[in-house]
Amino acid sequence: MGLAARFLEEAGLSTLVLTPTHEFHRAVGIPRSAAIEYPYGRPVGNVGDQEGQRKVLMEALSVLEKAKRPGEVWHLSFTWPEEPKKTDWQPPEMSPLIKFYLEEIKQARKNRNA
Amino acid sequence: MERGKKIVDGFRFLPPGLRAWVNTFIPGEDFKGYIPWTPMTKPLSQTTIALVTSAGISLKADPPFDMEREKREAIWGDRSYRAIPRGTTEKDIQVNHLHINTTCINQDINVILPLARMAEFEQEKIIGHLAPTSYSFYGFQWKNTDFLKEAIGPISERMKLEEVEAVLLTPA
Repeated sequence: MGLAARFLEEAGLSTLVLTPTHEFHRAVGIPRSAAIEYPYGRPVGNVGDQEGQRKVLMEALSVLEKAKRPGEVWHLSFTWPEEPKKTDWQPPEMSPLIKFYLEEIKQARKNRNA
Repeated sequence: MERGKKIVDGFRFLPPGLRAWVNTFIPGEDFKGYIPWTPMTKPLSQTTIALVTSAGISLKADPPFDMEREKREAIWGDRSYRAIPRGTTEKDIQVNHLHINTTCINQDINVILPLARMAEFEQEKIIGHLAPTSYSFYGFQWKNTDFLKEAIGPISERMKLEEVEAVLLTPA
């Protein structure tokens, strides 16, 4: 998504990425980010929570005005009400990519724990 | 540069193996290269905004994003895009994405493509206008930037025709 934002910015559009993984900015260089600690697939808020969605969007959109220099990341203060394991954000089946790289993923975990 | 009091942990929802693996792709230091920049020229309350999500949302009337090829070719991701008109609701769409659970988006499109909330903001003059068209592409593009030419380029052209000035992007 960071690459798409860069492309649009080059094309003359001001962009804001409302991102659950702001760390990708370090790899890509994203013009403006609003970082949110919400589960994947629901960066704006939970199903049917209109008021919560409005609050997140108001804060996120304000970053369009507040960010003054390329690469700013604004961390939004919202907290998801459930523990990560209860958010059920993962697909019902393991993705083809994860299956493909499963051994590498297991190794990365071992390396991290070593 | 990072602002605000809370520091968001972008890995909080990832299981430990995935967290360790994804971290291998992310440098420990801040990005040092060139970053494109188009300044906002008007207040938000006068700005026309379009939405773009990478959630693989398509109208039921349009062809869905291709998941079958990805199931056969694990590192291939659909590079096309779909236009999503304002007023679209969860009843009008299908969602195809092999890397997230799509149930919530199917129940309420606004969790990732907040068309109804942005229409409210337009009514309340918080934003200038929600553009007539928003867009979805498919976020899984593994070490491949062809989607910029095939999806984001055409999207940016259509945005210019609709006089869009700012874009809110929501990754899946």
